[in-house]
Amino acid sequence: MTSPALFDRRLIFVLGKGGVGKSVVSAALGTAWARAGQRVVIAEVANQHRLSDLFATRKVPRNTPTELATRLYGYSVDVDKATEEYLASHIRMRPLVDLLVRSRAFHNFAAAAPGLPELVTLGKVWELAVAIEDGRPVWDKVIVDCPATGHGIALLETAGNVSELAAQGPVRDQAHRIEEVVKHPGATGIAVVARPEELPVSEAIEAVATLREGGYPVAATIMNGMTPRRFWAEDASVLGRVESDDPAIEVAVRAALRADHHARIEHEHLRELTVGTYTSPIVVPDLGPIVIGQTELSILADALDGTARAAHPAVRP
Amino acid sequence: MSIASLQDRRVIVCCGSGGVGKTTISAGIALALANNGARVAVVTIDPARRLASALGLEALGDEPRQVDIGPTGTSGELWALQLDAKATFDRLVRRHAPSPEAAERILDNRIYAHLSGAVAGSQEYMAVERLNELTDDPRFEIIVLDTPPAQNALDFLDAPSRITHFIEGKSLRMLLSPGASDGHVGWKFLHAGSSTIFSILERVTGAQLLRDLSEFLGAFDGMYSGFSERAERVRALLHSPRAAFVVVSSADDEPVREAVMLVERLTEDRYPLGPAVMNRIRPRNEIEPAARGVLTEAYAAAGAIHPEDLVERTLAQLAEDDARARRDHDACSRLARLLGDRVPLQVPDFTDEPVEIAGLEHVADALAT
Repeated sequence: MTSPALFDRRLIFVLGKGGVGKSVVSAALGTAWARAGQRVVIAEVANQHRLSDLFATRKVPRNTPTELATRLYGYSVDVDKATEEYLASHIRMRPLVDLLVRSRAFHNFAAAAPGLPELVTLGKVWELAVAIEDGRPVWDKVIVDCPATGHGIALLETAGNVSELAAQGPVRDQAHRIEEVVKHPGATGIAVVARPEELPVSEAIEAVATLREGGYPVAATIMNGMTPRRFWAEDASVLGRVESDDPAIEVAVRAALRADHHARIEHEHLRELTVGTYTSPIVVPDLGPIVIGQTELSILADALDGTARAAHPAVRP
Repeated sequence: MSIASLQDRRVIVCCGSGGVGKTTISAGIALALANNGARVAVVTIDPARRLASALGLEALGDEPRQVDIGPTGTSGELWALQLDAKATFDRLVRRHAPSPEAAERILDNRIYAHLSGAVAGSQEYMAVERLNELTDDPRFEIIVLDTPPAQNALDFLDAPSRITHFIEGKSLRMLLSPGASDGHVGWKFLHAGSSTIFSILERVTGAQLLRDLSEFLGAFDGMYSGFSERAERVRALLHSPRAAFVVVSSADDEPVREAVMLVERLTEDRYPLGPAVMNRIRPRNEIEPAARGVLTEAYAAAGAIHPEDLVERTLAQLAEDDARARRDHDACSRLARLLGDRVPLQVPDFTDEPVEIAGLEHVADALAT
């Protein structure tokens, strides 16, 4: 596979700017691994519900792994419920837990307490990653479809922040255990996703730098939505030489030149991502103006598998 | 509904899902309104370098800077700034603290450092607070607010009440300082044993965290009313006819779905809606392209080695462009239908993002027509 650094890890965080296609990339990664025989769960955080659309299944219920395809499961983290569980496991006084959970004031507090919703979310993901049944891990791969960059990084950093803030006690101990897994380069890999546009690329470059500085294991960068290249330098020079007053010819030549120009810009962005992150980005092709379903996911999975060149001769990463 | 309908508003909020070009559209709207004679400030959140330079601001700062938009023939002015959530939060604390010492106590608190530095929550809240500050500034007639990236595009509407609730932290304060009471029966009942509860919580969180939290909430004593007054004020403004929400989308499925949800939620909560904007729309070719034979000849004459091959690829490109343009057009009609036949303003796809103010003028022009 293209990126052993990514494909060896058990816990994968998929991170990137809003709109770059994190959910699609998460689903395609899941598809690639599931068909290779691994048991995969994709965790959605913060009420996204994108998985059920992509796999055309019923809505993934909260906090229950739900089958999307063979060996591939979806999981939706419900922060409120997870907070309740978390409290119950630490405060072993059920009446107090019930009282807290029923109180509006507590919910208000919990929703805004810095780091609490993130810690609880990360705690759920961590539980999936370390779950063991009959002596072997329940999941071979846990993929987390993160919220947009800033929020996604905040999610990853939350365990470290909390363990630092709390200094001692069970909250600190658990946060510390979670942090160890999240930062473990053998267990965890972060895939930073961009699209070939200015802002997503600069955000990806900054994210990679921030994550590396914080000691978080960046395992891959992914350039999603690269337009398969149709025209090359020699074509452009021919097209530039076409002399015609016929608007019907002009319109065709202009379309080809525009596509070539666009492809060059995309390539420039790919180069920026490569140079700016010191990685070889995995290139995932744009599939055109279509609705993504399971067939498309399997094409994208090919790209992530590194078998893309056969299926998409035009893509030269 | 056109952009001109926004000329008499005080506040324009641009919202939509991530990656649709909200920041560019915010700047485009602000420029269009300035061209029409208004003094406008646009609050951007994390603008692209190119957009920052299009606004003539190499380092877009927290303070509004005037953008040179050339002669407009009117008294219009365009100002731009970038939201700095932490700086805004610090100012808010300094403004409302009963004394400079109290302000410093909060600013030094570790919980505060995490709260104000946290992207989640703080940025949304501070966008709203910055709006408050700017509406007090007589230099500006209209404020255009770009909204921060969020898990939910309307998170920022709930952010002020969420953070004020936390800072008020009635429940927790009671636990942490037994003796206070808000009269809630359940909590009163708990009070008898509140030192027990404190010690249970302490066992969970550790003494340090609870002490910091207690200090933090204590330091905010006497500031709650100031905070919630401001949250209330901006809430009232955003619900008034002097505000307008502009929902921005691209033609992709996900943003359109999100745009529809946004409009529903805004309508339900009685926020005033402005026009919707469809960004990056590809126009259809009005001219039928040349037939295969004609094109092959033209390519051969231009020296193509395999003219047929180049023609095939050109035709494939034309077909793909057409499919995209049709998809974009369908998405516009779908959004229009879902919005009760309110035709969204369409901004064409400019392959190159605006690099200077002239580029932004194209966006402003597209919005104004």
